[in-house]
Amino acid sequence: MSTAAVVAVRIAAMIALLLANGVVLIYMLRKVLGHLHRRIGPNRVGPFGLLQTTADVVKLLTKEDLMPDSADKPLFWIAPFVVFVPSFLAYLPLAFGPTLAITRTDTGLLLGLALLSLIPIGVVMAGWASNSKWSLVGGMRAAGQQIAYEVPLLLSVLGPVMMAGSLDFSHIVEAQKNVWFVFPQFVAFVVYAIAAQADAQQTPFDMAEAESELIAGYANEYGGMRFGFLFLAEFSNMFIVSAIGTTLFFGGWYLPFLSGNAIALQFAPVIFMIKVYMGIFVMMWARGSLPRIRVDQLLSFAWKGLIPVSLAWVVISAVAVRLWPFFAGLVSR
Amino acid sequence: MWGTGILKGFVITMRNMLRGTITVQYPEQRLELPERARWTVTHRFNEDGTPKCTACLICVKECPDHVLRIDVSTKEEGGKHIDRYVYELGACMMCGLCVEACPFDAIEMSHEYELATRSHDDLTRVLLADVDAASLRRAKKEDADA
Repeated sequence: MSTAAVVAVRIAAMIALLLANGVVLIYMLRKVLGHLHRRIGPNRVGPFGLLQTTADVVKLLTKEDLMPDSADKPLFWIAPFVVFVPSFLAYLPLAFGPTLAITRTDTGLLLGLALLSLIPIGVVMAGWASNSKWSLVGGMRAAGQQIAYEVPLLLSVLGPVMMAGSLDFSHIVEAQKNVWFVFPQFVAFVVYAIAAQADAQQTPFDMAEAESELIAGYANEYGGMRFGFLFLAEFSNMFIVSAIGTTLFFGGWYLPFLSGNAIALQFAPVIFMIKVYMGIFVMMWARGSLPRIRVDQLLSFAWKGLIPVSLAWVVISAVAVRLWPFFAGLVSR
Repeated sequence: MWGTGILKGFVITMRNMLRGTITVQYPEQRLELPERARWTVTHRFNEDGTPKCTACLICVKECPDHVLRIDVSTKEEGGKHIDRYVYELGACMMCGLCVEACPFDAIEMSHEYELATRSHDDLTRVLLADVDAASLRRAKKEDADA
């Protein structure tokens, strides 16, 4: 196959994964939240309500594309794509198996996180261009929150990166062949879990949307497929932060006690996806359990709590990683 | 310890999830109504199908919302005849005062609760039409004759 055809197939796979993931996650979110509240969730459209999401997609696709009169039209038009495209591109560096990845770069983790950090720009654009108070407050909150939580997210990632000695997802997973990084890097994992929840804008950190305060936040004035793009980006972000977390802390496609098993490696992508969806389940579980915290508490928690902890942990794990060979040598002698 | 409250919340929601759902899927599944549930006013009838209502009009006077109306006429041979017993369901608040006031146990609060109608006119119900009112004196006389 020519290079162009390979690229086209890979991009098609990315789009398919993103859309399928969106459809699955919307259904899963409703079902999980429903059962956490002892409800059933959707069960009318199709068997077990499986076609509910399809019905929603059809609704979004057929809705009129409205533009508020006083909106900043070019910004309003482009904002959903500024949110959607980075979230779409962040699938690029993910490694689904030893040989399965859309693209492989030495700085995959950096690329993924850099792309994710572009999303708040689109959210602020959407909030500003809508020319609505609620949207603007939502967009501003998103900016403040995401900038605040980007920092602990990046710092918490440093621990596993230092232990693996690489930013390449496949190398990071291979470094966890024997011990998953969640055990030595537990503090980093906790910081990552909290910051990732905030980065994916899930309750208790959904300040940008905050239904009960801001109706739908930055997405207020959007309808139809434009809203669909904003919505889809949110679910795709959930997948990405869960996938990065799985790669960094839960050994990617390795199973415990079966690390070198050839049969287990055959199912690497399946194992990886199961782990990712378990991570997403935990995110939804948090969403169904915790109330939204106040915006000033949110920011002071990031700047005064998470960032000092993660900085201290970076120092500790840097020293530990440096000194480990020395101590190991002492023990073996 | 800091953070234990959050973990407790997680445990509670997970316990809820594992306890199973409590949704009653209404049109297909229904809960049994409590014995004393109060819905629409209906009449009670004797075994021979005649109403127990004596057209004493106490229910009409008692009703705070004025939803009951009885058109009564007097028969030539004596005794009352109910032309129409009209029940304005749309204005009824199901307080049950009419049933409490009825000295003959002639009306009761039924368990009929699916009351939506397509037309506003359907909310006016004619519960009895063109029927003789029950008469205690006549009943006693018939007993004595027998």
